[in-house]
Amino acid sequence: MDIFAQLLANSVIAGALYTLITLGFNLIYGATKLINMAHGAVAASGGYIVFFLTQTWGWGMIPAVFAGVLGAGVLGAVLDWLIFAPLRRRKARPPVVFTASLGAFTVLQAFLAILFGAQFLALLPAEAADTVSVGGALITSVQLATMGLAALASVGFFLFLRFTTFGKVVRAISDDEEVAKMLGVNTDRIVRIVFFIGSAVAGLAGIMIGLDTGIQPTMGLFIIVEGVIPSIVGGIGNMAGGVIGALLLGFAENFGIWFIPSQWKGAIAFGLLTLFLIFRPQGIMGRK
Amino acid sequence: MSSSGRLVLGVVIIVAVLAGVYALLQSPETANGPAAPVAQEPVTIGFIGPLTGDAAAIGQNAKAAVELAVEEVNKAGGVAGRTLNVIYEDGQCTGKVASNAANKLINADNVPVILGGLCSGETASFAGAAEQAKRVVLSYCSSAPSITQAGDYIFRDYPSDLFQGAFGAKYVYEKLGKKKVAIVYVKSDWGSGIRQVFADEFKKLGGAIVAEEGYEQVARDLRTQLTKVKAAKPDLVYFLGYTEGSIVGVKQAAELKLGVPLFGADGWDDPKIWSGAGAAGEGAMYTVVSAPLSDAFKAALKAKVGSDEVGLCSAQAYDGLKLLAQVMAKAGTDGTAIKDELYKTEYAGGVSAAKIAFDANGDPVEANYAVKAVKDGKAVEQK
Repeated sequence: MDIFAQLLANSVIAGALYTLITLGFNLIYGATKLINMAHGAVAASGGYIVFFLTQTWGWGMIPAVFAGVLGAGVLGAVLDWLIFAPLRRRKARPPVVFTASLGAFTVLQAFLAILFGAQFLALLPAEAADTVSVGGALITSVQLATMGLAALASVGFFLFLRFTTFGKVVRAISDDEEVAKMLGVNTDRIVRIVFFIGSAVAGLAGIMIGLDTGIQPTMGLFIIVEGVIPSIVGGIGNMAGGVIGALLLGFAENFGIWFIPSQWKGAIAFGLLTLFLIFRPQGIMGRK
Repeated sequence: MSSSGRLVLGVVIIVAVLAGVYALLQSPETANGPAAPVAQEPVTIGFIGPLTGDAAAIGQNAKAAVELAVEEVNKAGGVAGRTLNVIYEDGQCTGKVASNAANKLINADNVPVILGGLCSGETASFAGAAEQAKRVVLSYCSSAPSITQAGDYIFRDYPSDLFQGAFGAKYVYEKLGKKKVAIVYVKSDWGSGIRQVFADEFKKLGGAIVAEEGYEQVARDLRTQLTKVKAAKPDLVYFLGYTEGSIVGVKQAAELKLGVPLFGADGWDDPKIWSGAGAAGEGAMYTVVSAPLSDAFKAALKAKVGSDEVGLCSAQAYDGLKLLAQVMAKAGTDGTAIKDELYKTEYAGGVSAAKIAFDANGDPVEANYAVKAVKDGKAVEQK
């Protein structure tokens, strides 16, 4: 085995998962300026929906994945409708909204634990995964799919925000919500849709993590960390920056522990974050 | 009268009334004499273990075993005639959470004894507070060598990794004939402690440790650690992990086609790992504390949890509770008295060991290990 090729693959696999999380996180941040802590729990919910549909209702994997993505999107929209929209209308200050999202995160996580138990669950049966060799690196089909979906989602988001009217409106809200409102934009409706899309992609991330390793109610916290760090590194709210940040984090972690002992892997992510906060707080691509 | 004067008078009257009410409520008991009813009060002790999160499967099973022991103690007349009562707290296999749980047990519930924690990190987190408050801690599962020095009030009926790491190293080197080993370990008191002992003993025997890769307890992506291990070309991988990380790690080792045997420690004595890892886990081996486990105990536990599963430390938790009940019946419910009595006690006929006795550090005097190998998704003891 080519160790370099394998490390490259490991980095891209990790980067692809981080990308899926960051895309949705950044989209929601862009439109609402909210560090949405509930994002992690919404992603986990996507994984659990797939688990429920395949294990209890006997659905096939493909329809279950679609339902999981859709379900996570709806859950995000419902959270906005129940919690964030009323707070926006009341002009709640950012710390209040942040705390509310933390509350939503905790409730969702507890809910998952009550419904499904706290243990670690696999979405795929426990057979040895089928691996393919790509340029000397061993990659499973799930990991290949994750990379493909992350690339697809990144390009899709870019085209969507750049070339559709809806995308332009989202960017307008992101620039200045008050002005957009004055110009006749129904910001509440747009933000609701943004929550739906962002949460759906988060759900996809949760599902891919579940297919690759497994799901656990507490996974949401690591998902949110893996979403926030690339986002800040890339320039919070900046979609392209988020993707670059996600890949950078994947590479830094996996190549980093090639050189230093691997028990420092967790420290690398936060080291990277600290470096950026000190030397380039606006991130690679600048704040949106 | 000035307003502040009125305020003072008001406060005085309220205090007087409250004091009167309190005295009235207290009087019937004082009239009956305090001694008799107090003795009938239940004896309450604390329990700490991971009831959610990592290692929750082991913790829940241990809790069931303790509940079983409590029922048996109370059926047999309790602790010197008093009902035994246990408050169960969740330590989540995490120091911070376990420390909060212990503070609650010590300060709010005022228990003389804490049975727990399960994970070494749990026990280590509150050993200091318990020692200071003169409360006895009896861990039924913590095996980190550092617990030995944790304090005078800190006991365990589960052997230190010093025994297990050395046993594992000898088994791998002599019995399996593997001379080049890579270690993958979870960064916890348990993982780091056992890794150290294993590495020292293995090198002393003449073997080589070709790689040592750690991972965070919550990590679910061990690919790069395993990539480095593979590049080091070991004869065997010594893998120290808890349930969740191990399922993922064992699977990822197969995905990366590591192609060498995996050898673990008692953390792997959880059937969930081998049903979860499936084919990837075939042939994996691990050391485990060997316990006699009477049939009656197995049947009673099965009736309680609904499966054949006997968790890693359930026998030790069960014996620990019985041992404490026996000691408290003799020494009462003062922490220091219990501690002194524990050092003198020899408990026979348990399900975790033929004899439990403590050395001067509160460690069990004896330890026996067995090796299990995974065949068709089930761990089978090797003869």
